[in-house]
Amino acid sequence: MNIRVAGPRSWSGPWVWGFAAAALVWLVILVISGQGGGQTVSLALSLAPYLVIVGLGQMLVVTAGPGNIDVSVASVISLAGFVSVAVASATGSAAVGVLAGIGAGVLVAAVSTVAILGLSVPPIIATLAAGLVASSITLSTANGFTAVPDAGLRAALNLRPAGVPVLALAIAVLTVLVAALLRRTVYGRSLVAVGQNRRAAERAGIPVARVVAMTYLLSGALAGLTGALLAAYIAPSADLGTRYLLDSVAVVVIGGTLISGGRAVPVGVWGAALFFILLDGLVNLVGWSTAAQNLLKGGLVLFVLFLAGGGDRSGGLASLFRRRPRPAAATPTTITTTITGDDTDG
Amino acid sequence: MHVDNLPAGGAAPPGTDTGPAGPPPVVTARGVTKAYGRTRALAGVDLAVRAGEVLGLVGHNGAGKSTLMRVLAGLEPCDTGTVLVHGRQASAGDFRTVRMAYQETSLCPDLTVAENMWVSSRHCLPRVRWRRAASDAVRRRLDEMFPGHGVSPRDRVEDLSLSRRQMVEIARACLVDRLDLLILDEPTESLGPDAARSLYAYVRRLTEAGTAVLLISHRIREVLSVADRVAVLRDGAVTAERPASGLTEPDVLGLMGAHVAAPPTFGAPTAAGTIARDTVAELLGATGPGLREVTLRVGKGEVVGLAGLAGQGQQEVLERLWRPVRRDTTVGVSRAYVPGDRQRSGVLPLWSVGDNLIVTALRGIARRGLRRPAEERAVVADWVKRLSIRGGAEAGITELSGGNQQKVIVARAFASPAGLVLLDDPFRGVDVHTKTDLYGLIRQEAAKGRSVVWYSSENAEMAHCDRVYVFRAGRVVAELTGEEISEERIIGVSFAEKGEDD
Repeated sequence: MNIRVAGPRSWSGPWVWGFAAAALVWLVILVISGQGGGQTVSLALSLAPYLVIVGLGQMLVVTAGPGNIDVSVASVISLAGFVSVAVASATGSAAVGVLAGIGAGVLVAAVSTVAILGLSVPPIIATLAAGLVASSITLSTANGFTAVPDAGLRAALNLRPAGVPVLALAIAVLTVLVAALLRRTVYGRSLVAVGQNRRAAERAGIPVARVVAMTYLLSGALAGLTGALLAAYIAPSADLGTRYLLDSVAVVVIGGTLISGGRAVPVGVWGAALFFILLDGLVNLVGWSTAAQNLLKGGLVLFVLFLAGGGDRSGGLASLFRRRPRPAAATPTTITTTITGDDTDG
Repeated sequence: MHVDNLPAGGAAPPGTDTGPAGPPPVVTARGVTKAYGRTRALAGVDLAVRAGEVLGLVGHNGAGKSTLMRVLAGLEPCDTGTVLVHGRQASAGDFRTVRMAYQETSLCPDLTVAENMWVSSRHCLPRVRWRRAASDAVRRRLDEMFPGHGVSPRDRVEDLSLSRRQMVEIARACLVDRLDLLILDEPTESLGPDAARSLYAYVRRLTEAGTAVLLISHRIREVLSVADRVAVLRDGAVTAERPASGLTEPDVLGLMGAHVAAPPTFGAPTAAGTIARDTVAELLGATGPGLREVTLRVGKGEVVGLAGLAGQGQQEVLERLWRPVRRDTTVGVSRAYVPGDRQRSGVLPLWSVGDNLIVTALRGIARRGLRRPAEERAVVADWVKRLSIRGGAEAGITELSGGNQQKVIVARAFASPAGLVLLDDPFRGVDVHTKTDLYGLIRQEAAKGRSVVWYSSENAEMAHCDRVYVFRAGRVVAELTGEEISEERIIGVSFAEKGEDD
């Protein structure tokens, strides 16, 4: 049983690679710039948490099974940024501002959830639509927006005793909480079951709709939190969240979470986020353009997905030599069936 | 029982070409072993299938039947030993003429019937306009094998009923240029009696043409009536190989190592005290898709059977009881469901036996949404021991044989505190021994005050019920109690109104 703190077999693998890649990139930066590596790490640790928060939400959504993805996170982050700054300056309390940001995220997610569960809209369309609603609200708010982020919160986010950002520690705690949520609570267990086999989960008495709704709302809340913190750290803007759509999916995949659902790896999100932030740093150091950066990241995601499907794909290649994959390789099969299914339907 | 419906004439096997100097073997296994993780599936199997014969293979769940099939079909390499095809060491291309129809159908659910043919038989199909060629071929083959099958090549597999999926699966296995060996893994478990009869008629035509057929089934009488020879697999090795002609069902059960207990009328339904029980669930004149004015009630601690031919509304009743959303259905207790289609609606493939077993019960064990691992472990250990599930709690669920997986799914429902357990024909493809254990379990749990509603396509199983409702065309046509419940009676009632109703 995986009730023990970590099912050792599934834990030795997937999450290591994000950290390994991060370490590799860090070494390259060290060699190229020839400057103190500690400073680079400290900087990465102060930027990565934002990506980790939104990534954790995306991870929960992806774990809910094939087809589940939240593409509204980018718009939610931008909207939550404005909302939290506006509310914070109106009430004078940064905490209320952050809560308002989270609330904005939950509201947008509620729209997606109603569309997904009530109207049976595919999640990618539902969250895209909810995201559009969010970004049009953002645009109308952004016109003539004058409030400035709370100075106290900004200072707290920049706090780095001994080079370790306080935010990174807080988000590390959050990651542990999410891991515990998945392993120790009825909700988490249900989510993982739904992701493996929705039909079986339903027959096993799991309230599938409630679990899925909860998951999207959590993702919305976490994206809202990201927006609120990010707006205080940088400044609210209409494209505050833009880069977080691709990145949030990428860190989930690179972190070892199964894209077909049923297995979540919260720690992996950290490794992958650090890797991405350091990669940004490296690419800036070398002097590549933003376009080239995105090209690189997109390629990386595809590459990792290729590797993740690799168990079965190599089986497919090997079948040229008449060797078949083991029947127990249940998950990679799901991925390939979906892919082939799409191909043939067209 | 499907066998009973087989024509007596065809049941007598030729029996002449089974001597040692018979036709040459098509596929031969020598000292084949195979292990999955910690589970040893095959421990040195020697077996030969000869051209033009039907070889029946019997054995308990977990005896290694399915694994042996996969090895003989060249789908999986063996760990040690050799597989010879036509007397030669088998290499990749040799297995082209060996085809297998799976028990858990292996069709792609999102594709149409014709597209599925392309998946498995593309080397026999033209490159252009393959869709039409595949449609023609599969339609022709289905017409040949199962007249009146009602399957269109353009149907999506997901939309087909279990029995039609099984027909397509078998037709797909036969769709090849040259067929030397056809392996049928529990082919009749989800087929109706008519379809089973047509299938065996087709098998006979195949063997007359020189094809070898390997038949795996838990229905011993069916095997004995169809096969020329019977091989018994036990603990991963062939322990007996006999001509089928002289064998009887108890002989075979004995060879399989079953405790040939008196037919399971033990723990028989308690005195027909149907009046004294409190009602826990009730349908009052339920009408809807597939149901016409069904009225039934389930008492506390009662085992209620839903019988009749397959697809007459029994599953719709289970669905109503599982989700009592309409006003004509009232259910007063919590429910648990045991699906029959375990691959699609039962197994959570990434988890271990223990995780799969506890997933329903953990809701009741948990306090304020937090799990309590120690209590969960105790429950899991208890059930693994009680049903002697092979591999133990830590084994991956997909490492287990089908019958043991089914035990886990049954245990999942009974480990929960549910007051009403719904069984959706859960014992298909489960061996006699396991079945007997599970029947006992059902009676024990009923004695503790749990109610069970049990749909089964196997009329003999209904003998374990207190009360049985027999269904026909969405209606309850009879309610049998206690002594009245018998296979003959149920079959009689299920067919009784034919002609008058149509």
